[in-house]
Amino acid sequence: MSSHHESILREPLVTGENITYSKVTEDILVPVENKPNKAWWIGFIVSAMGAGLWIFSVSWTFWFGVGEWGLNKTVGWAWDITGFVWWVGIGHAGTLISAVLLLFRQNWRNSINRSAEAMTIFAVICAASYIISHMGRPWLFHWALPLPNQYGSLWVNFNSPLVWDVFAISTYFSVSLVFWYTGLLPDIATIRDRAIGTRRRIYSILSFGWNGSVKTWQRFELVSLILAGVSTPLVLSVHTIVSMDFATSVIPGWHTTIFPPYFVAGAIFSGFAMVQTLLLVTRKVMNFENYITMFHIESMNKIIILTGSIVGVAYLTELFIAWYSGVEYEQYAFLNRVSGPYWWAYWIMMTCNVISPQLFWFKKVRTSIALSWLLSIVVNIGMWFERFVIIVTSLHRDYLPSSWVMFYPSWVDVGIFIGSIGLFFTLFLLFLRVLPAIAMAEVKLLLKSSSDQAKQKLIAEKSVDKGQAEYYIESLEKYDSISPKVAEYEKV
Amino acid sequence: MESNKKYWKGLEELQNTKDFAEKSKNEFAEPLPMEEVLNEAGLSTVAPRRDFLKALGFGLGAVTLAACQKVPVHKSIPYLVKPEEIVPGIPNYYTSTFNGHSVLVKTREGRPIKIEGNPDCMLSKGSLDAKGQASVLDLYDVSKLKGPVLNDADATWENIDKFLKQELLQVKTGGKKIRIVSSTVNSPSTKAAIADFTAQYPNTKHVQVDAVSYTGMIKANENSFGKAVLPRYRFDKADLIVSFGADFLGTWISPLEFSRQYVSKRNNTALEGKKMSRHIQFETGMSLTGSNADARLPLKPSEEGIALLNLYAALGGVLSGSKPLANNPNAEKAIALAAKELSAAKGASLVVSGSNDVSIQIVVNAINALLGSYGTTIDLDNPSYQFAGNDAEFVEFVNEMNRGEVDAVFFLNSNPAYEFNDAKAFTDALSKVKLRVSFADRKDETASLCQVIAPNHHYLESWGDSNPVEGYYTIIQPAINPVYNSRNAEQGLLIWSENPVTDYYQYIQNNWSKSVLAQSGTTWKELLQKGSVTLPAKSAGVYSFSRELNSVVQTIIAESNSLAKGGENGIELHIYQNVAIGDGKAANNPWLQELPDPVSKVTWDNYAAINPKFAEKLGIAELDLVEIKTDKYSVTLPVLLQPGQATGTVSVALGYGRVKAGKAGSEVGKNAYPFLRLVNATLQISTSASISKASGTYQLAQTQTHHTIEGRNIVRETTLKNFLKDPTAGTGHAHVNKYDLWNEYEQPGHNWVMAIDLNACTGCGACIVACNAENNIPVVGRDEVRRRREMHWIRIDRYYSINDGDNRITKEEEIDKLENLDNVSVVHQPMMCQHCDHAPCETVCPVLATVHSSEGLNQMAYNRCIGTRYCANNCPYKVRRFNWFNYWNDSRFDNYMNNEYTQLVLNPDVTTRSRGVMEKCSMCVQRIQAGKLAAKLDKRKLKDGDIKVACQQTCPTNAIIFGDGNDPESEVSKALKSERTYYVLEEINVKPGVGYQTKVRNTVEV
Repeated sequence: MSSHHESILREPLVTGENITYSKVTEDILVPVENKPNKAWWIGFIVSAMGAGLWIFSVSWTFWFGVGEWGLNKTVGWAWDITGFVWWVGIGHAGTLISAVLLLFRQNWRNSINRSAEAMTIFAVICAASYIISHMGRPWLFHWALPLPNQYGSLWVNFNSPLVWDVFAISTYFSVSLVFWYTGLLPDIATIRDRAIGTRRRIYSILSFGWNGSVKTWQRFELVSLILAGVSTPLVLSVHTIVSMDFATSVIPGWHTTIFPPYFVAGAIFSGFAMVQTLLLVTRKVMNFENYITMFHIESMNKIIILTGSIVGVAYLTELFIAWYSGVEYEQYAFLNRVSGPYWWAYWIMMTCNVISPQLFWFKKVRTSIALSWLLSIVVNIGMWFERFVIIVTSLHRDYLPSSWVMFYPSWVDVGIFIGSIGLFFTLFLLFLRVLPAIAMAEVKLLLKSSSDQAKQKLIAEKSVDKGQAEYYIESLEKYDSISPKVAEYEKV
Repeated sequence: MESNKKYWKGLEELQNTKDFAEKSKNEFAEPLPMEEVLNEAGLSTVAPRRDFLKALGFGLGAVTLAACQKVPVHKSIPYLVKPEEIVPGIPNYYTSTFNGHSVLVKTREGRPIKIEGNPDCMLSKGSLDAKGQASVLDLYDVSKLKGPVLNDADATWENIDKFLKQELLQVKTGGKKIRIVSSTVNSPSTKAAIADFTAQYPNTKHVQVDAVSYTGMIKANENSFGKAVLPRYRFDKADLIVSFGADFLGTWISPLEFSRQYVSKRNNTALEGKKMSRHIQFETGMSLTGSNADARLPLKPSEEGIALLNLYAALGGVLSGSKPLANNPNAEKAIALAAKELSAAKGASLVVSGSNDVSIQIVVNAINALLGSYGTTIDLDNPSYQFAGNDAEFVEFVNEMNRGEVDAVFFLNSNPAYEFNDAKAFTDALSKVKLRVSFADRKDETASLCQVIAPNHHYLESWGDSNPVEGYYTIIQPAINPVYNSRNAEQGLLIWSENPVTDYYQYIQNNWSKSVLAQSGTTWKELLQKGSVTLPAKSAGVYSFSRELNSVVQTIIAESNSLAKGGENGIELHIYQNVAIGDGKAANNPWLQELPDPVSKVTWDNYAAINPKFAEKLGIAELDLVEIKTDKYSVTLPVLLQPGQATGTVSVALGYGRVKAGKAGSEVGKNAYPFLRLVNATLQISTSASISKASGTYQLAQTQTHHTIEGRNIVRETTLKNFLKDPTAGTGHAHVNKYDLWNEYEQPGHNWVMAIDLNACTGCGACIVACNAENNIPVVGRDEVRRRREMHWIRIDRYYSINDGDNRITKEEEIDKLENLDNVSVVHQPMMCQHCDHAPCETVCPVLATVHSSEGLNQMAYNRCIGTRYCANNCPYKVRRFNWFNYWNDSRFDNYMNNEYTQLVLNPDVTTRSRGVMEKCSMCVQRIQAGKLAAKLDKRKLKDGDIKVACQQTCPTNAIIFGDGNDPESEVSKALKSERTYYVLEEINVKPGVGYQTKVRNTVEV
């Protein structure tokens, strides 16, 4: 794969001079092989405090009961399932990047897939923790699994979307974990080879005896491909099933056939936003500018604008269908969303998810690191509100007005949510310290074909069309990792 | 083929060596080293230091671990000597009497756990109100005294008796007065005991005073007809009822009896006969009765007397001097219309007033006489003895004390330090009395001022009797040994007066065999079985009114002027009793505190009810606190915006603001008794006051905060006119899709269903408390109700609509734009699990914790529930309730089950639910099972009516019918076949098992 030349028209995926295989390894392993810097420590302490809050709030809930949350007789789910769907959605980008983009041979995924997958796993952990903690009797959570038992035998209710959900999430988590870990093997072996002492022993065990033989590499490629094939349907199925938690109900605002595609698009939307949030910072702090380039950032922004627009269309379709259905309950549910007591949540959602991503039509915006980061946060906020709007505004006013209520979160609700973000970042920061945040082996694959260096060589060899070369040089303008070297190129 | 293979353990066995043969004789092939261990040397072996430490460490650890778990001590006494009649698991029923109504007490293993109406009761016919249902909980109230108290110290009954006999002797020789102060006593035996006491101590007088007084009516009847009694009203004979502020379905005289009578003219049976009574209500605050009226007009207290005078004049009564209803043209028009209707319905009409003003009641008497109500709808010859208090006598008693003429006073079921309007005058006067004795069961406001508290029995612990109406006698018999060290008050009176019979049980028996048993020819045993004796009623006489009304008119006009005097922020304050708490005697009952007010849906508080438009004018909003002030008293109360409240008025409920009621009832709401006014020797329930906004806000704990149906067809109603044209009018059957996701299944046995008649339900809430008691439903307290987490399995949804001309406006947005909100219609809709055949809750439960029974029930398996709450989210009726906390074992919920006494009230047939599980109406599945078992034991088929669910059983108006839908002859099948039947939310095809019958209003187009 690495032997053939790539078209000069394609933008470089790795920048920088004198990038060699060894340089890639050196660059990427800096955080793993050295003591953490100050930025990491600050981030870690803040995150760990968040995780502490999470442990405290969840323990509080377990000790006193779910009554410590703001829920009531009418609104049985609120911040819990909002948080759950939000985290599961965030996880989706990782799978999309690692599986779908692999199948489509989108090589730019190589530098971001490792972190994105890690993010998936940590996000699913956060989501799963919500599933357990929202239960009235969490110590019996295993009853939701179809385990053999002595009750008769008593199975789970296969009609219940919550059971489908259990399957979906557990499958998703295990496949993502295996996929991620398989991808890590050659990189762990690299760390092993460079390490000494206990570290070496640990990484040696973790590397599963990787020896770098041709046969190992061949199997590695094959397994990756198979796992990609297995994961691809999951990108669609997991959030489809999550959406069925709502779509199969009778509650106006939930009972909607548009939910599966709408949820999947929303999930990818929020997932890419979270990847942006994480990688823009990681890239800067860990000096990964040469590997996570402006091309990556822009590509992800393009996906955000696409999925954001799909979500926007879905919102409008929902409104139209509510009106068109002629069902008064359905009509009221949507009228209530737009103009009821939670109107502000709806309009935050609309602004953050539909209007703000449209700014990415401007190249200046989508190639600006600061704005991309800011908008990624905005999208994350918007997507949280989307789930809040769907869950709470549908429930709080359903069929019988006598039961209409308002939902107000308690400090425990807030604590668990903020805490889950802390937990997520704690896990992510630990990941950055012990495992390479960029798939070294996969980036090395690109070095000979898709790096700026390689392309420069091509131009130097004059084996490319001049017009195409100029086009290529122009495309480099946006790169913040390529300093005013354009002149140098022109010389060539 | 038999195997002859032989397996051997080793070559030794195969070869059967000598050595082996020797060893095989022993049990163990190799000798165990027991001897070595047990011999002296073994025992005296010095344990190595490390072994010792290991053993020590293990021992210490094991003991510590074992000690971590506190082993609970369960005290239980097996039925080694089993009392006769008690079979564990089988309830026993005993007759008794609550508040003059004969009841059945359900006991399990000797504990009363539920009160039900006695079908033989003349007044209730087997039904019971919320207070009666809740009364069983008072038996186990931990706030009660555990024994008698003498001078603030625990005492024995011997001490008390010795002390009192001595003191009474001194009083007797001193020659000063002895007073027994009680609320109305209609028990013949109590009266006899008091009479015997009086005979011994001739200076004794029995003063009866009721917290909420009917003195005005009694005096008016004395004035008009020479009979100082409350008449018996016959709402079942009235085709037209015009009520002026009388809440006869909720709190007025005998609401249980009146509800049944009233609905008998309006329920399905009446409608099938194409007839329905008409009910016009003029009132200040929105009462339960007003919410059921066909036409309801807000009327200020100052306008009530004037309106009655106008009505009397319009009916052709001769009147000198009157006054038009100046600022209330609607009421004026309505009075004219009512007069026309009343004239047309002479002899079958009834006018009642809730006022305690003698003059007003005289005018009511005049009107009723004019209408020919006496002898038909009013019976003066078989009077009611439910209330006989005399305000003037009590005031005189306070004066006597002040003058130092009273040396001894006994308080029986009376708490003037809380209930009297001038409590300070009373307590000051009381301090001048030498001997103060209270029979209160707790150290309440009055008892705490007494030297002796001789706690009386709860009615479930005592013998007693009652004579609520002429010719109707009921018996009280104990169903349990006294829970605490209490004693019958009457027994005390007998002992202290040296009566030859000091056993009150014997005393009652003697008393009865002399009088009622002899007259009726029944035996004591028959009486205990039936619970009551009814003597033949006298025929109701016709009475005519012949008094001159001049002075009455003058008094009414003067009183009206004084009420309407206004001033800055002037309002007319209307004091009323609400359905749950009433006069506040049972304020410490958490079931009643948590029972939502039928109209406002407020729990755990009283409030200032103000008309929304009037509040707007005053600059007062919901959640605000307001100060209501008269020249004598002021309180700060939260505001409740009450549609239908008369403009310029505020209503405040009595019964709150107790300071010494107990754990649940103290410091709940504010006391409104001091607002009562003594005018012309009667206590008046309205006064002129001023209102001003106070600082701060306060959130009332309401179980319902949205008040209209938003144009949805969940409540369907029609008018009588339309109903007569087309009985299906208003049912508006929605389009139901026949397409089904699920397979039909066989229901070969029973199919339990329910029918609820919206025209019979008055919304009183008795069913809610009955359900609480039957199904061990936790009380969650004010804060949790504020968080909208009440646990009631059955609730009564109350919706307002505003009539704007011919339009019925049900959308809050449109109502906000209306100028006039006075014409409010109210509908009450009982709502509980609908036991849908296609239950949305069942499909979404991940663990099959809620499933359908083959008999059409939607069942909860609490033990299987993991608490995902999806079922509750997916319930279109929102009837599922989640156990947010461990209500029965959490110190934060100290109102109810969190102690070993109140836990005795739990129904052992129903499990208490743990934290984290869902619960909901089970259609009293334990009663269904019990009914089926009973039929099976009798080897017969289950009959319709064998099983009655708790809400149905207690319903005063039979609005709820439960039964087998597979039996075409069952009452419920017939009710569901009625043209009026519809199903709530039938269009979403969940196939609910509860059918509702349309509300019919007997409106008259002007």
